Amino acid sequence: MSEITFKSPVDVGPLTSPDGSVTVADAASTTKVQVRAGAGTAAAAALDVSYGSSRRRADDALVCGTRPDEWTIYGTPGQAAAISATVPTDGFVTVIDITHGRAMLRISGSNASASLNKICNLDLGEELTPNGAVFSASVGNVGCDLVRDDQNGQTSFLIACERSFGKFLFIAVADACTEFGVQIPAGWELHGH
Amino acid sequence: MIIVPCPNCGPRNSGDLQNCGENISRPDPSTASLVEWREYLYMRENPAGWVTETWYCRGGCRRYFTIQRNTVTNEIRGQEAS
Repeated sequence: MSEITFKSPVDVGPLTSPDGSVTVADAASTTKVQVRAGAGTAAAAALDVSYGSSRRRADDALVCGTRPDEWTIYGTPGQAAAISATVPTDGFVTVIDITHGRAMLRISGSNASASLNKICNLDLGEELTPNGAVFSASVGNVGCDLVRDDQNGQTSFLIACERSFGKFLFIAVADACTEFGVQIPAGWELHGH
Repeated sequence: MIIVPCPNCGPRNSGDLQNCGENISRPDPSTASLVEWREYLYMRENPAGWVTETWYCRGGCRRYFTIQRNTVTNEIRGQEAS
């Protein structure tokens, strides 16, 4: 499996509110490896994460139980081959590098949940989506896979969607942050105001 | 808005799911008459009351499951994976 130079669908840098309470940043170059495996396989045992939860491995890869019998492993850019090689493929198992087929962004900060809740059906409070929670939901009417992945004690969510929706999703999430002072770049506005 | 309990994801807004309709048994295509096949494809009971129906969790786990829903009150009971 060879690595291909990644081109993100989002061509704008991180957007941050003046008080630093929320930041939206492109993370599309994150390595994304999808694993589908039956419950009794060596792959399922090695990944060792149930649906709805995640864990960070020693190699810093984030293993997420995305759906029943389906996992997504996120890692630093350009690591698809290395990450794929860590998954045992005995039995009924598929391991696919979906890095180039998915866009991804990270929203973080003390107002991340409040911003995201404007365009997401789920309750993103601490009780239902604690750090490490994995879930799929509509964000801005785009079907997304989300992970609560706090960084340095700050609330943070990784949001992945089909690549073709990436730019729209980025704008939609940034638009939800305007209450906290995030400025949408000229020409990127969702609304004609 | 209806809150539908997915066996895998928990309570979800019905907008995140798809109602696949009443559960009906599929006749054997090799022996079914045209009338039986037509009824299977197009005819539904549509009762004012309890109905057993299949839902698809398209926004979450992408699995099908069965619930009983009261079409008058939208009360839901007894969900299970299909």
